[in-house]
Amino acid sequence: MLKSSLNIKVDRRDAKLVMAHFYVAFIALLVGGLAGLLQVLVRSGKFELPAGIGYYQILTVHGVVLGLVLTTFFIMGFQLAAVSKTAGTFTNKQRTIGWIGFWIMTIGTVAAAVMILLNEASVLYTFYAPLQAHFVFYLGLTLVVVGSWAVGTTIILKYAEWRRANPGQPSPLLTFMALVNTMMWTVATIGVAATVLIQLLPWSLGLVETVNVGVSRTLFWYFGHPLVYFWLLPAYMAWYVMIPKIIGGKIFSDSLARMSFILFLLFSIPVGFHHQLLEPGIDPAWKFLQVVLTFLVVIPSLMTAFSLFATFESYGRSQGATGLFGWLKKLPWKDARFTVPFIGMLAFIPAGAGGIVNASHQMNQVVHNTVWVTGHFHLTVATAVVLTFFGVSFWLVPHLTGRKLTKKMNKLALIQGYLWAIGMTFMSGAMHAAGLLGAPRRSSFSEYGGAAQAAEWIPYQIAQAVGGSILFIAIILMLYIFVNLAFFAPKGEEEFPVGEAANQTEKAPMVFENWKLWLGITVLLILFAYTIPFIDLIKNAPPGAQGYKLW
Amino acid sequence: MAKAELKSDTKTEIEDSSSLKGTLVSVFFVGFFIVVLWVGVYFLYLDRF
Repeated sequence: MLKSSLNIKVDRRDAKLVMAHFYVAFIALLVGGLAGLLQVLVRSGKFELPAGIGYYQILTVHGVVLGLVLTTFFIMGFQLAAVSKTAGTFTNKQRTIGWIGFWIMTIGTVAAAVMILLNEASVLYTFYAPLQAHFVFYLGLTLVVVGSWAVGTTIILKYAEWRRANPGQPSPLLTFMALVNTMMWTVATIGVAATVLIQLLPWSLGLVETVNVGVSRTLFWYFGHPLVYFWLLPAYMAWYVMIPKIIGGKIFSDSLARMSFILFLLFSIPVGFHHQLLEPGIDPAWKFLQVVLTFLVVIPSLMTAFSLFATFESYGRSQGATGLFGWLKKLPWKDARFTVPFIGMLAFIPAGAGGIVNASHQMNQVVHNTVWVTGHFHLTVATAVVLTFFGVSFWLVPHLTGRKLTKKMNKLALIQGYLWAIGMTFMSGAMHAAGLLGAPRRSSFSEYGGAAQAAEWIPYQIAQAVGGSILFIAIILMLYIFVNLAFFAPKGEEEFPVGEAANQTEKAPMVFENWKLWLGITVLLILFAYTIPFIDLIKNAPPGAQGYKLW
Repeated sequence: MAKAELKSDTKTEIEDSSSLKGTLVSVFFVGFFIVVLWVGVYFLYLDRF
């Protein structure tokens, strides 16, 4: 049953649901990318926004539309496709729940986007209180989260159905991974739902006067850090399962992949304090505990790095490669489905290393609130993750629309990946360097009254504008490729690559499917890491803050 | 003469096709990169705070 399901296409009805998510995601790429271009141009000091458009307004557009909308829609679509392919076509009921979720998310997105465009919600994508947006913005974000729960329900129902039909069998690897990410997302979004529904919505509606800023930021980061793993895990799905098949190799170990995903479920949530290391109101001992937990979440990423190198080397050697690095030459560099995500993998090395610096407790003072952090997450989410998503689109979009990735499009896709690498090296590199020199993040162009230190940052801001402009060209190219693959590419069959484990006789331990155990440990870790500091934040709270609209 | 025939010109270097030496070196490189970046910022920290 498993074998035959690997050769079939994703059902047309499921494909439509997936493509609906992708349309929203790629519209978001256009809007958010344009906002990003405007930002780097403003920050170069050579350009001013016309018609009274504010810098912080387009910064909010960029963050919300790319960080929250593009990612969530692409991931939900991708996971639906992965589950439909490996666990079987959704039932009508499951698919209907998915569609309901899609429409709730879309309505929420439009509501939030309209408020940002009307300049009623220039609160940046972290929407920190006491910056106060129009209540419709918060309502829109709530709908995005609620909708994503509905789409997640589709995945959970399919998984449960598969397990009932295949007792005693480990679930298909891709379905397992999509399920882990869905569960992590569900547990994490409770935090953001809580701050929005209990604190921010009543406050923006005027039902309560003030807000407890410490609590709202803590709830946000309880969600905000797993959010970055929610972005990353689908990229890992592609790296672990699809890339081996694309290069013609095998998955190094099915069990290792499952183990690393379980570790992400356990350790990616109780670590939000590493975003709040310089925040008053949280005891340093609890910050330290969460720093330790943060370092535990490094382990599955290092496992992934090892596993990928091993997959590549094993494949290269099976093709006759010799020497220490001969296997590198055997990899299919002319195949954009491999090369573009590979650039993403490479970017994850400096990205991960930078992340370890960020999370190193007192050392965070060197980089906190500097543009280094912006450079960091443009390597993680905006290169490692996004280039992998683009690499997935090159085969998944034509697979779903019954078309082919032509040689010409493959070539354009390669150029797109190279351009991204060049643009991001300039932009993110300059952000890292300027950040170490103290340049602040989240801020428009300023000479800070002619301060000598601020003058040091300007050449780096020009480098960011150069890099950002190259990235925008890459975005236009990507949109062209997407539209081609969705509507114009020649009809045909494009493979949905699902890798097989190198050792077929090794059955994944069933303990990995014991959700009572894993969710139980997840909840215990969260309670351990958050309960006492949370009580502190409420009991010893300073007077609440009124809302501010500084734009 | 007979001795010469026994000599073989072909060097048979056996390279284990399942070797993961390159992987070992690669992960060491990743570790090295992490340590260098961390130590670099650590000295900035000592210098500034």
